Amino acid sequence: MKRFLLSLLAALVIGLVIGLYLGWVPFPVQYVDSPARDLAQRYKDEYTVMIAAGYQADLDLTGAVERLRVLGVENVAQHVQEVAERYITTSRDVAEIQLLVVLAEGMGRLTPMMEPFRPVTLPGQGS
Amino acid sequence: MSETSPSNNRVRNRRYERPRRVVSWIGVLLGASIGIAGGLLLAWSQPVQEYDTAPWQLDADDRAAYVVAIALRYNQDGDVGGAVQQLIDLRLPGDPIEQMAAIACQLATTGYVDNASGLRAVRAMMRFYQAQGRSGCADQVIAADDPAATAFVDIQAPTSTPTLPPPDTKTPTPDGGVGGTPTPNILIIPTSPPQTDFTFVNAATFCDSTRSGLIEVYVYEVNGATGVPGQAVRARWDGGESTFFTGLKPERGTAYADFQMSENLSYILDMPGRADPLAQPLVAVTCTTPEGQRAVIGYRVTFRALE
Repeated sequence: MKRFLLSLLAALVIGLVIGLYLGWVPFPVQYVDSPARDLAQRYKDEYTVMIAAGYQADLDLTGAVERLRVLGVENVAQHVQEVAERYITTSRDVAEIQLLVVLAEGMGRLTPMMEPFRPVTLPGQGS
Repeated sequence: MSETSPSNNRVRNRRYERPRRVVSWIGVLLGASIGIAGGLLLAWSQPVQEYDTAPWQLDADDRAAYVVAIALRYNQDGDVGGAVQQLIDLRLPGDPIEQMAAIACQLATTGYVDNASGLRAVRAMMRFYQAQGRSGCADQVIAADDPAATAFVDIQAPTSTPTLPPPDTKTPTPDGGVGGTPTPNILIIPTSPPQTDFTFVNAATFCDSTRSGLIEVYVYEVNGATGVPGQAVRARWDGGESTFFTGLKPERGTAYADFQMSENLSYILDMPGRADPLAQPLVAVTCTTPEGQRAVIGYRVTFRALE
C-alpha cells in the first residue's frame, strides 16, 4: 500500500508539471474576440505604421487619431512618438520610420532623434 | 487442522521469493492521469493575463479597423502582395478580399462614413478590392472616386435672401442696374472637404400615418429662421441614392424638402459638398401613431448655414 501511495504521489506531481507545461506552452488557451488594446506590441506597432501610411496619403490627422484610439492607448501622440523612436533605435525599415515621423510631426511630437528622418523638399521640388 | 500440500507451499514461496518492484505501475498510471488532467485544468482555467494577441484574434469591430488600416497602407504604397498577406493573416472566413468588400459594405451603410475620414477609409477599401476584381454594396452606397478637394464645380445658386422688385419710379433705372429679382450668382464650391457651409442642427422623429416614412428637411440661414431654397439634400441607402432640393414645395416654405423612405431601410443624409452626413443613419422602422395606426417613423432634420 505504501508503495502504491508513493508511486501515486510521485506520478501526480510529475503529471501536474507535464499538464501545466502542455497547457501553457504547446497548447495554450487562444482567446478570440479580443480588443485591439490586447494586441501584441509588434502588431500594435504594425497597425500604427499602417495608420501613419494612411496619414501620409491623406494628411487626415483627425482620422489617424481616431483610428489609433482603438489601440486603447491613453495618449495617442505619445504612443506615436514612442513607436517612432523605438523604430529608430532598433534600426527598423527607414520607409516605415519616415511614415511614423511624418505622423509624429503632424501631432507635434517631432523630437531631435526624428529630425534626420523628416521628409525634405529638395530645391526644385514642390512649391 | 489443515494440511498444506507441498505443491501449494511451492507456489506461495515462489511469490515471496520474487524481487519486489520499486514502483506500483497502477499508482503511477493513476497519479499521472490525475496529475496531467489537473495540470491542464489549472493551465486553461486560471485567470491569465492575455498577451501576444494576434490580429486574427480581434473582435469584429477591431478586425474591421485593422482591415481599414491595411487598405490605407495599400493606398499609400500600392503593395498588393503585402496587403493580401495581411488579410490572409487575419484568417477571415472565405475569400479575404471579398471579406474586405463585405466589411466596406458594412461600414458604408453605418455611421462610419458620416465624416470625411470614414468616407476616405471606405474608398481606400473600395479601391483595393475593385482593383482585385471584387465588388460590394459599398460601390452603390458611395462613389469610388474621392472628389479631390481641388476639384470645383460651377453651380447656379440663388441669392440667399431674395428681395422683391422695387416699385416703379418716375425715373426708370437703366437696364443692367441693381435688380430686385433673385440674381443667380455663380458660386464656386469645392466638391470635397471642407463641407462646412451648413451644419446639422437636430433631427426629431414623428409618427404620423399621413406622413408615413417621410424625411422632412429644413435648411435655414445662419439666423435659423430664413429658409434657403434650392439646396441639394442627398439620401443614400444600400443600393441607391436620391438628391432632392429645398423650396420645391412653396406651401411648406422655402426651407423645406422631403424624401419618402422605404420601410426597414437605413438612410444616410447629407448636403453633398456643403454639409457632412448625419452621425447616425435614419432607419425607417415602423411605429404606432397616437390614434393606434401603424406607420413608418418620420424624421424632421434641420440644417443651418454657418457664418
